[in-house]
Formats: sequence, structure tokens, C-alpha cells
Amino acid sequence: MANRTTIELPPTSAKHNDIVLRTTGLTKHFGKLVAVKDLNLELRRGEVFGFLGPNGAGKSTTVGMILGLIAPTVGSIELFGLNLKGNEWAALRHVGAVIEEPAFYPYLSGWDNLEALAKAIGGIPRDKIGEVLQRVNLQDRARDRYSHYSMGMKQRLGIASTLLRDPELIILDEPTSGLDPAGTKEVRDLIPKLAHENRAIFLCSHLLHEVEMVCDRVAIIKQGVILTSAPIQELLAQGQVLQIRVDDPTQAAAILSSLPWVQSVKRENDLLIVNAPKDSASRINRTLAEHNIFASELVSRNVSLESVFLQLTGGESGD
Amino acid sequence: MTRLIAAELFKLRKRLMTRVLLYVLVGIVVVLYLLLYAVSRVTLPANGPPPGTLQNLLGLPVALPFAMSILASFGSVLAVILTASIIGNEYNWRTIRTMLICSEGRLRLLGAKLISVGILIITGMVIGLAAGFIMSLVTTAIGGYSFDFSFATGGYLWDQFLQFWRTLYVLLPYTLLGFLFAIVGRSAMPGIALGIGVFFLESIVTTFMILAGGWVARIPDFLPSANVRAINTLNQLPQGIGGGFGGDNFQLPGVTHAFITLAIYSLIFAVLAFYLFRKRDVTTN
Repeated sequence: MANRTTIELPPTSAKHNDIVLRTTGLTKHFGKLVAVKDLNLELRRGEVFGFLGPNGAGKSTTVGMILGLIAPTVGSIELFGLNLKGNEWAALRHVGAVIEEPAFYPYLSGWDNLEALAKAIGGIPRDKIGEVLQRVNLQDRARDRYSHYSMGMKQRLGIASTLLRDPELIILDEPTSGLDPAGTKEVRDLIPKLAHENRAIFLCSHLLHEVEMVCDRVAIIKQGVILTSAPIQELLAQGQVLQIRVDDPTQAAAILSSLPWVQSVKRENDLLIVNAPKDSASRINRTLAEHNIFASELVSRNVSLESVFLQLTGGESGD
Repeated sequence: MTRLIAAELFKLRKRLMTRVLLYVLVGIVVVLYLLLYAVSRVTLPANGPPPGTLQNLLGLPVALPFAMSILASFGSVLAVILTASIIGNEYNWRTIRTMLICSEGRLRLLGAKLISVGILIITGMVIGLAAGFIMSLVTTAIGGYSFDFSFATGGYLWDQFLQFWRTLYVLLPYTLLGFLFAIVGRSAMPGIALGIGVFFLESIVTTFMILAGGWVARIPDFLPSANVRAINTLNQLPQGIGGGFGGDNFQLPGVTHAFITLAIYSLIFAVLAFYLFRKRDVTTN
């Protein structure tokens, strides 16, 4: 099937390469709407995986299915080698998640919220609550009511709640939403640290710059179908283009467009943006010279994840 | 499941609403006793309860059955609010997803919620009874009546023990209806509105059915209200107290019929609630 996409995640280290999450043919229909179609994912321990897509792309539905909140129409989910269906508790007890914005009991303090969760999970010592609150810098406001927390504090409490049970897979949906720049940086720094503690991180975010900084791999989903998935460096390298400045860009564009190995030529004012293999710079230079066109500038230009995202999704925002 | 019950009780204990509902219950008992005491001091109208009835109600032997009849009526309303809130607010606050991720399974979570709320209702009933007993002592003292505890025989206490559980039993259909509709509506409000709405509206509808006569008059036999009343008649209250729709001439269904009918209603509401909760996707909307 054309839309079928498998995200093969190579091991980041020989020790930390076991698969913690695998979805096979995951599909969800809401009536006639196909929210997710034939999704195949593999996520390995120690990896930070970015899951991107515009509004209504199917990100939340996918996360909901992984967490057992939404029943797949077709397909299966394996967590730590266990089929989620019929093994929900055994599989999910090693998963921590903050879905969309964190949700806690408004009348309880941050500490009491975590204590309620710890009681429900069981086997979590009270010391652990203080430890995770300290880890997200919330220890000084631990006894304040959750309803009095700022958005940033709520986000940090959400992350603290995921750490309560020492999860092996952490699912974070927009973890820096509402955080101030310092808080954003703290969380951004925390994510790779968590991954280095032998955990897998599944990160949904619309902040593409943030994803670019912390993720090892990304998948971009639109209308329930994975458009692309690759290690982030590979994805960015795919989008690498050559920027050429010449005296006669119109003629140069015509010449380069006729070359079979040039994928596209775009004009940006006096510049030509050429999408061609990375090692083709010298060939392009020679071809232009053969036509008495001499480049005054020829540089390789990396595209941002944002450009790749916008190109793939047709310019839709990544909320 | 004990873990989940501990978590639910922890949350309920910390919640202001739980305490407010308890204060309201105790407040209702206190106010009713004081009102009855005040009324007992004035001349009663000719068509009112027989002379001495109100004074009897305030007296010690009747204090516990009377308190239980208060619990069966006002307590139902408070129990519906508590039961619908325990699940409905999880949707309102969107904590349902947080709790589900931390729970051993949906059915266990729902079971833990029902058990926790049951524990709280029983606690509330005990406190309500204690309040009724204390108020009876107070009105007895200020009324200048004698304290005579000779009524507290083993038989009397056993009757009260049974009536306590019967009172809890008659709360079930309405509280489970509230619980079900809080799940259906993904909010506490539909549960509270329907649970309390049915509780009150049913009596009015039933009265019209009885007035209609014929086979329509027998329909209430299969509705919760008449059956609740049939069970409540086992409560030893003085004649003229505790009347409901149709007055005292209305022929109530038999006690066994009432128990079975209420059990069927409770079971249907509970099974539907569990089925829906287990099957339905928990989405953002």
C-alpha cells in the first residue's frame, strides 16, 4: 500500500536498542472519518522521537491508542513486547504520559495530586514525590493548590507525574506549552537527559525548532498518514539545496532545469535555489561555465525542519 | 483495586464538596428537628397529623427511624450529587485520562469509585443518624420530657440495623442513575440533573398515574418510587408520617416485589455504566 510507512529506528547504542513501542497497521475510524491509517511505528529505548503534524492530523488519536484510551479499529500496539490488548496494566505501568495540556485535580496541591496518582499506581514511596518535584523545580510550590499554578507550573507538574513510576517510555504532548523561555530551556534540556537514562521519549510538539534540537528521529503525519519518517539529520540533509548567484539568473535557471539530476530550480530575487544532489556543486558550476555563465556565489544551504514540515504538509501549521 | 480505592478516598477526603455535603446533611437533620420541635409547641390544624405525633417523632424511640427516613429522602439527593460528581468531574477536569493511565483497568477504576462513594455514603448515614439521635436528646431535654432508654432492646436495635441497610438499598437506583448519566454525558451535571430530576418528578408523575386509575394506576408498581416507599414502610414511624404520593390509601407493592424491582433497576444502571465506560473511547472532545 502506498501510504504504508514503517519507521525503522536504528539503535542509538548497542545497549539501548530494544524496541519499547511497536505499532502495526494501526488504524482508527471515527464513523466515516479515518483519523489514523495503517500506522507502523517502532521506537527504541534511549531515543527521542518527534511526532509532528498539523491540527487534526491524527497525533492525539495515535497517542490515545498507544495509551489504551482509544481502541484501534484495526492493527495492534506492542509495548515492551506485550500486546496492549489484554495486557493494558502490565504494558502501561512502564509508561508515563502528559497528553495535551496536563490535567490534575484543581482542589488538590501539586504534592497531593502526585500522592493521589502514587496511591493509584501503588508501590511508590512518598520520598519519590519530593524527588520528582525537585527534578522539575516545583518543590517550593508543592503545597500550593494546582488551580493556582501558572501554565508553566502545570506543565512541570505534568512532567513530574510521568516520572513518578520511573517509566521506560515517556509520552509528552507539547511539553513546553505555556513555559517561559527559562522553563522551556529547562524542559528542553531535561528531555535528552531522560532519554540517556535508558528511556524512550515520544514527543508531540508543534515547536519545530524545539523538535529539531532534541529529537533523534521524527515522523510527520497528515490526515492520519505518515508522510515521512527519518532520522532528523537525514531529513534535513534531504532538504539541502544549493544557492547560486549569477548575472543572468533567467538563462541559468533554464540551463539547470534541463539537467536530469536537478530536481528543481527556484528563483529568489537574484538567487537561484537549486535542489540537486549534495555533491553536484562542481558539476553545476562547470555546466554554467560551459554556457559562459559564471557563478559569483555557490553555497550549500540547509533547510530547517520547519521548511521540510511546511513543504510536506502543504503549509499547514503544526499545532 | 485497594490501591485505586485508597486513591479515590484520598481525593474525596481532600475535597471540600464532600465536607459540604456532609454539613448539609447534618444541617438538614438539625433544622428539621428544630422545626418539628417548634411546630410541636403550637396548636396543630384539624387535618394535620394525630395529636402527639410530632412529639413522638422527636422522642428517642422514633429518633433513629425518623432520621433514617430523612436520610432516605434528602440523603438520596446528596448521594446522587456525590456519586455523579465522583465520575463526572473526572471528565470536567479532564483528569479521566490521567487516572486511566494510572489505573489497573477501566472496570477496576469504576468499581473503585463506586466502592469509595459507597463507603462515604455509609459514613454520611452514620453521621446523619448520630445527628438525629443527638438532636432527639436535645429536643427531649429542652421539651422537658423524660429520658427513657428502655426501648433500646436487642430487637429494636436489630430492626434499626436492618433499616439502615434498607435505607442504603433504596438510595441505589437513583445514585446509580446519576452515575450512569454522568458517564453518558461525560460530566457531573447530567448525572446530578437526571438523578435528582427523576427522584422528584417521578413522584409527581406517579400521583397522576394513580389518579388516572385502572391499569395505569398499577404502573408505579414498576417504577422505583413506589418500591422505595414500600421498603421505607418497614421503618417503624408513627401513623401519618412518611406519606407520599397517593396518600396512605395507595396500595403499595409487596416488599419482595419492591426489593426485586429496585435490584433490577440498580443492576441495569450499573451494567450500562460499566459497559459504556469500558467500551467508549476517551478522546479530547
